Amino acid sequence: MTTFAHPREAFPLLPHSERTPQSNEGPSGSTTRPWILRFARVPDSTQAIEKPAAVYDEGSQMSVGLYDGPLPYMTTHSPTVPDGNMTNPPPLDEGPKD
Amino acid sequence: MPTILVIAARDDWPTDRVVNVLTNRGVRVFRMDTADFPQQAILAGRIGTRRGWSGRLANSHRAVELSDIEAVYFRAPHQFRLTDGMSKAEQRFAAAQARAGFGGVISALDARWVNHPAAMTRAEYKPIQLATARECGLTIPPTLVTNDPDAVRAFAEDTPGPIICKPVASPVFIEGNELKTVYTRRLSPHDLVDLRGIDTTAHLFQAWIEKAYEVRLTIAGDRLLAAEVHARSARGHEDWRSDYGSLIYHRTDTPADVAEGVHRLMGRLDLRFAALDFVVSPSGAWTFLEANPCGQWDWIQGATGLPIAEAIADELQGVPT
Repeated sequence: MTTFAHPREAFPLLPHSERTPQSNEGPSGSTTRPWILRFARVPDSTQAIEKPAAVYDEGSQMSVGLYDGPLPYMTTHSPTVPDGNMTNPPPLDEGPKD
Repeated sequence: MPTILVIAARDDWPTDRVVNVLTNRGVRVFRMDTADFPQQAILAGRIGTRRGWSGRLANSHRAVELSDIEAVYFRAPHQFRLTDGMSKAEQRFAAAQARAGFGGVISALDARWVNHPAAMTRAEYKPIQLATARECGLTIPPTLVTNDPDAVRAFAEDTPGPIICKPVASPVFIEGNELKTVYTRRLSPHDLVDLRGIDTTAHLFQAWIEKAYEVRLTIAGDRLLAAEVHARSARGHEDWRSDYGSLIYHRTDTPADVAEGVHRLMGRLDLRFAALDFVVSPSGAWTFLEANPCGQWDWIQGATGLPIAEAIADELQGVPT
C-alpha cells in the first residue's frame, strides 16, 4: 500500500480561485531560470475559444446559458486554447496540481 | 437511494455532459465542488466497528447518505473555501483539517471511483507512468530526467536521432502578467550548446520518435476509445497542442498487443479513466508517451463521435462492457 507524506498529495485539488497562479515577475537570469523555460511562449491567441456566458444551475447541476439556446456544454466541443489571456486559462491536461 | 457523487469544478462543462447522460438514464446524481466545503456543504460522517462510513453529505439543494454512494466521479475540484476573517495560520490549519477530514471520509468510500484521488495523484508522475508502461509491455521512448548538463550531453550523444525536451509537470505558468506554456520541443544541436539552467530543476528529455500521426487513446473502464490525431503543420507535428487548428481526427482501433498492455497499465495504476498519448510510426508501431489521469476528452468526442461521456457514465453505473 502506498503511503503519502501529506494528505494534500492524496486528495488533489485545484488552486483556490485560479488554475494558474498570477505573477507580474519577469524572467530571472540565465543561471537561475530553468533551462526549458527558454522555449516558453505565449500560445496562439488566434485559436482561442470564446466560452459563452453561463451560470451554474443548482437544479440541473449543470451550467446554463444566460440566453436562450443549447446548454453551454453543447456549444463547446473545442479544446480551450491558451491565448495569453489570464481570464481564460487553459484546462490542465495533466490534472490538478498544487 | 443509490447515488453517484460527482466532485468537480462547477464550470467543468465536460462534467455537465456526464451528469446529463446519468440524469437522462434516471440515475440520482449529487454534484458538488470541494470549494463548497465547509461553507455551503455539510458533512456528518460516522464509522464504528459494526458499520463503515455512513452519514450525510448535503448542500442547500439536496442531500445524500454516504452509504448510498455507489460511485464517485472525481475531476479536478477546487480547494476548500474557508470563512473570511481567518488568519493565515488559521486558514492553513483549517484547510489541512478539511483535506484530511472531508477528503479522508470521501476517499474512504467503498465505491466505484473514476478515479480515486490517491491513484490519480500517483499516476500523475511521468516517471511512474513510463516505468509502469514499460513493465506492462508497452514501448516507451528512451528517457532522461536530470538536472545534470553532462547527462544531457551524454544522452544526446547516445541517442541515434534527435531528442526532445518537455516539462515533467504542468507546462503552463504566468510570468510578467502573461500566460505562457512550454510545448514539446525537438532540440537542435544549437539548443544544446548553452545548458545553463539545467541544474536549477529536473528536466525531461526523450528520444524523438518518428511518427506518421499520434493517437489520443481515452480509456473509460475497460473501453478503449482511440482517435488518430493528424497534424497538418510543422509545429502541430512536433506537439499537437500547439496548433489545434491544424489537426484532423479519425476514429481508430487499438492493436491487440497495445490494448493488452494498456489494460495492464490501467490496472497497475489503479485508474478507471485516463487519456493516453501514443506516437504511431510510419510502419504502424505504437509508442507510449504519457497518461493523463484527468485528461481532456470532450473535444475528441466532438470531433470523432466517440461516446466517451457515455462510457464514463457506464463505468460509474457499473455497466458491464
